[in-house]
Amino acid sequence: MFSGKPVKATFKCYLPPAQTDVKTSPIEPPIKLEPRFLPGEIIVNEANFVRKCISPDNGQDDLWGRLICTNFKVSFIPQEPPPKQKAQLSHLLLGQHDISLTCLEQVVTVNDTRGKRKVLGSNKKLKFNPAELILYCKDLRVIRFCFDEAGPESAKKVCLAIAHYSHPADLHLLFGFEYQGLRYHEYKANPVNGSDPKGGTQIPFFDRPSDWDREIKRTGASEWRVCSINEEYVISHSLPEYIVVPVSLTDQEVKQYSTSFSDGRVALWCWNHRNGSALVRMAGLKDPLAQKKPVEKILTAITKSHRQRQEVILSDLDKSLPNIQDIQSAFVKARQICTLDPFEESEERWLSAIENSRWLEYIRMFLKHSAEVVYNLEGRNVSVVLLEEEDRDLNCVVSSLVQLMLDPHYRSLNGFQSLVQKEWVMAGHRFLDRCNHLKKNDNKESPLFTLFLDCVWQMTNQYPAAFEFTEAYLTVLSDSMWIPLFSTFLFNSSKQCNDLLQEFAKNKAIPQDENHTVFFPPVWNWSQQFSSRDQTLFNNPMYVGKGAACVQNGEVKTFQRTKKAFSSTMRIPSTSHRNGVRAEEEHFHRRGSLVSELKADFSPVKDESPSERFFRDWFSRPADQQGLLIPLVLPSHVVLWKLFFLRWVPEACIPHGGPATVYHKVSQLVDEIETLQSKLRQYKGASPRGTPVPSSSGPPKDQTRMYFKATSPGDSPASPDILNSSFPFSPVGNLCRRSVQGTPISKFLNGAKTWLSTETLSNDTF
Amino acid sequence: TFKYIYYAHDITYFCPFTGALRGTVMVTNYRLFFKSMDRPAFMLDMPLGVVSRVEKIGNASTRGDVSYGVVCKDMRNLRFAHKQLEETIKKSIFEVLMKFAFPVSNGLQIFAFEYGQVFPENGWKVYDPIAEYKRQGIPNESWRITKVNDHFELCDTYPSTLVVPVNIPDEELKRVAAFRAKGRIPVLSWIHPESQATVTRCSQPMVGVNGKRSKEDEKYLQAIMDANAQSHKLFIFDARPSVNAAANKMKGGGYESEDAYQNAELVFLDIHNIHVMRESLRKLKDVVYPNIEDSHWLSNLESTHWLEHIKLILAGALRIADKVESGKTSVVVHCSDGWDRTAQLTSLSMLMLDGFYRTIRGFEVLLEKEWLSFGHRFQLRIGHGDKNHTDADRSPVFIQFIDCVWQLTRQFPAAFEFNEYFLVTILEHLYSCLFGTFLCNSEQQRLKERTVSLWSYINSQLEEFTNPMYVNYSNQVLFPVVSLRHLELWVGYYIRWNPRMKPQEPIHQRHKELLAKRAELQKRVDELQREVTNRSVSSSSERPSSPTRSITPVQTFV
Repeated sequence: MFSGKPVKATFKCYLPPAQTDVKTSPIEPPIKLEPRFLPGEIIVNEANFVRKCISPDNGQDDLWGRLICTNFKVSFIPQEPPPKQKAQLSHLLLGQHDISLTCLEQVVTVNDTRGKRKVLGSNKKLKFNPAELILYCKDLRVIRFCFDEAGPESAKKVCLAIAHYSHPADLHLLFGFEYQGLRYHEYKANPVNGSDPKGGTQIPFFDRPSDWDREIKRTGASEWRVCSINEEYVISHSLPEYIVVPVSLTDQEVKQYSTSFSDGRVALWCWNHRNGSALVRMAGLKDPLAQKKPVEKILTAITKSHRQRQEVILSDLDKSLPNIQDIQSAFVKARQICTLDPFEESEERWLSAIENSRWLEYIRMFLKHSAEVVYNLEGRNVSVVLLEEEDRDLNCVVSSLVQLMLDPHYRSLNGFQSLVQKEWVMAGHRFLDRCNHLKKNDNKESPLFTLFLDCVWQMTNQYPAAFEFTEAYLTVLSDSMWIPLFSTFLFNSSKQCNDLLQEFAKNKAIPQDENHTVFFPPVWNWSQQFSSRDQTLFNNPMYVGKGAACVQNGEVKTFQRTKKAFSSTMRIPSTSHRNGVRAEEEHFHRRGSLVSELKADFSPVKDESPSERFFRDWFSRPADQQGLLIPLVLPSHVVLWKLFFLRWVPEACIPHGGPATVYHKVSQLVDEIETLQSKLRQYKGASPRGTPVPSSSGPPKDQTRMYFKATSPGDSPASPDILNSSFPFSPVGNLCRRSVQGTPISKFLNGAKTWLSTETLSNDTF
Repeated sequence: TFKYIYYAHDITYFCPFTGALRGTVMVTNYRLFFKSMDRPAFMLDMPLGVVSRVEKIGNASTRGDVSYGVVCKDMRNLRFAHKQLEETIKKSIFEVLMKFAFPVSNGLQIFAFEYGQVFPENGWKVYDPIAEYKRQGIPNESWRITKVNDHFELCDTYPSTLVVPVNIPDEELKRVAAFRAKGRIPVLSWIHPESQATVTRCSQPMVGVNGKRSKEDEKYLQAIMDANAQSHKLFIFDARPSVNAAANKMKGGGYESEDAYQNAELVFLDIHNIHVMRESLRKLKDVVYPNIEDSHWLSNLESTHWLEHIKLILAGALRIADKVESGKTSVVVHCSDGWDRTAQLTSLSMLMLDGFYRTIRGFEVLLEKEWLSFGHRFQLRIGHGDKNHTDADRSPVFIQFIDCVWQLTRQFPAAFEFNEYFLVTILEHLYSCLFGTFLCNSEQQRLKERTVSLWSYINSQLEEFTNPMYVNYSNQVLFPVVSLRHLELWVGYYIRWNPRMKPQEPIHQRHKELLAKRAELQKRVDELQREVTNRSVSSSSERPSSPTRSITPVQTFV
């Protein structure tokens, strides 16, 4: 479009590109794209005349450009800038064709002559000149570069550089340290231009007693207290410095008992139910054969902290849930199925392949187990101790899921972020090992956090009005794991974080601050990555939060699920109902029951357990979005998270469709409502005396809360062109093997081979 | 109009989800009603039309109880038992059901003929073929409306109003009819408003083993191609697998040879026949009823091949829509008789191509046109009131179509004016025999004036069936992704009897709420605006600076 080439239809835009586009938009001179670098970023190696493969069959859509490897990313600079992508989430630190080195899962080169593949590691040799480079990314992108026109030596060098720099020998070598150090000094030198790294985030980090205190007060956990026995990490290297323990335990007792536990991880309080029951997580004993006394003491203390002195339930997650290797292998399989090339290959046995990966099965197991814990806390009013050998993996998933189900606070954006901070970052989830940032030990790699995000997505999918954030937010959060600039996902524990940062501060001449995160910010300050407009994509327009009170005088009062079922009762007009049936109903009466007798013989239904009854009762009532939420864990209701798994696959992208179309519509409506509300406030302000304005329910003052705005009279209705099932991401620029537009069906048409050739030809005629 | 027929105490209903319940059964000429007073109170209300078969279960009990199984057409089975016949019970529930669930087999009348409900709107008037063709711009210089089938003489399974190429006189149509199975000649279903590319439908040509040809038929297809100046090609989509199409030659049928039909290209869409589809749905019922198994859900689902069939049908329709929209080429669609797979393909491609059919009334028109008037054999495929449950002519062709529509609504949740409940309601009344809409096999047989149309009921409470998220992008052509990645089992229909499957439309619910809130706020703003205006008029001549409404509401349907 910009280069004056004939306009050509692509699969993304089904119809030929509208010529009017060119006329209406001012013709911009072709911009020579220059690589953009962050402070401290340097080019390590590069190759020119590299081809990024997009359509392997004819190569027409392929991009030519420069492939650069820096100490932060792999960057591809196309010679001609592609047409601007409207409304695509744009990253402030990474361009459309960039991949951070941390995001590389596997670097594979392909030999020219025999098509031999070689996986490149750090300091590997390459005996042949690579014809192709395939980058498998942690965020499920698969990117191919061809070197047919590039100098063979430079191609080889850039491949080796990418392989080498994506395997840092030491955590210090991750680009984040370089970047944040420079950024700190830049900010200090010129505080006006630099944004405050911590600015805007009001997330409690749980690295100080006050954060825990607030949480104790918020949940009404009056029988629990903050204990500072782990200051300087004296009892445990992986627990936070401040932990919450039963009031009946003295600091000395905590210290004493902790020695029996793995890494000193004595019971760690997570959350309290208003009925008095508590959720606690705990590691296993160092020596399983040793005396159980410390455990008993702690359990007694937990019991004492329960208002009704209720017993404590131990929930051993190691026994009932898959281990981290199982989870890793399930994820690897699911990822393979979803990124398999060509697309049709996985189509035939798609369902059983997904099943065989076991990913969805594991999601269900975690949700189900968490729901059982919820039953104990809520239905039985007993405290639950989650038990895991190290208390740093499965416990993170289950404890945070339980809290999401029970406490609406965590379903708000800030609440959710504080939950991750509390149950993952401060609880010592080994992000460094599980993400395998250093690619040193594959055995320790496991996508626990991804699994958790998928579980959360399943809940948002079932209860779309209960969460303040969108699935785009969850996806972006998972992507942030692979950008090594945020302290959140880089370390195995808060101690490791502290130690490294102190060392780093010394090296970079950064004065010690009481708040170390100031110079190594967490991910939660989203303005590091996205513009404020793009951040509105995180806001769920359907959210029924505490602030989102409903119409006061209108019909709708609270948001409730109506029990309008497509039930066995056929709904015919009520008059006809009266005609026939109602009169006879009065005669119905019953005699002594035979049911109990019959049940033994006939009933295929086994007796209901108390927990089954609890769940059945709960599901039979309308759900309160601001109350307890229990996910359905039936296999038919736990489904593949398409945005996460399929967003980069062009063949799977529904043009003008997908959930984004609903998001678009509802956002506009909410924007309109907020505009009306602000207008009401204006009127209220303008007419101080006695106008009949009911007090507004406090909608946010920020008028740009919604990504899509209501259309004003002059505008044409918002075009849905930008919407597709990958929104706000775009699969454009990724390899696409679609033989028939929109339809990977050639596989199914073996009877019509002759047709395929002509179909392909006719597609090329316009 | 409901007649009380039978009622008995002490009936046990074996609910597969909650266990045995004791209560009272009442049967009218329309429905079976079971009510239990056990806690929690339970009611079962089922139109007799859904009954496929009733049978005694022999080894039911040692205590002399009699047990019956009722197999239903709508994805469920029921089981009842009662004590050995007492004096007071003159007839067993078995006999009652055997008689009244199968009125056709017993010389009784289907209930729709007795149902006398009056609705504000007459649904039979929803579809007027002349008006619909006019909407499409027909007649025009290339296409004309013919009355040659006014008395169903040309083809007794076609409607009386047909659209054919202008330059083919009625006399020639008769010779074309002689070459097409059951006389179902190619006629226009839809025309592209800009390119004039058309979707036409017909039955297979009677080629036979000897490769018979018909000059008139060849000329006729040439005329269809010539009517579209944009393309010098004509695509013939044969819905069948090529093997099946070839096998039809043995029975005198077959497919167009590309030698005989110049410039035509034949494509087989590989959609299987009614028997394969029936078997697939039977397997699906095994997998989903009464309970779905915790393990192997997806592979069990895969083994039914149901979603694969759905995929092939949608893929075929997508290719038709693609040819017409992107290729600007006219297409001819047929299978063997042109009333099953052909109806699926034409109606689905029209749904993709034309936003009108995505409105509630438009969809009604689409069904009336492509399914009812063009003779999808509902009576035969469903077997209304007929006890012969093994009839090989029964097949879930129409259910498959509605499933495909549901798949489209999932991929394009804002593109349809109707909601899931609308589709479920249509399928409920496919069997209920309450309305006349889905009775009979053809327009000729259908006795509209003696029954009530389903659309009378639906159109008199549109709000129930409206998708609040609908955005009328009428010119948008929908191109779904026909991949198992995006096709799902329609849980809200196939598993709706399972009480664990809570039907949830929370998004719709929430949206309705937001709409109500907007209306409320708009009202308040307007009131205040008026007040301010009045006050400022009374106090001074100054006008308020802000206009009353700076926003136009998003198009919505409450």
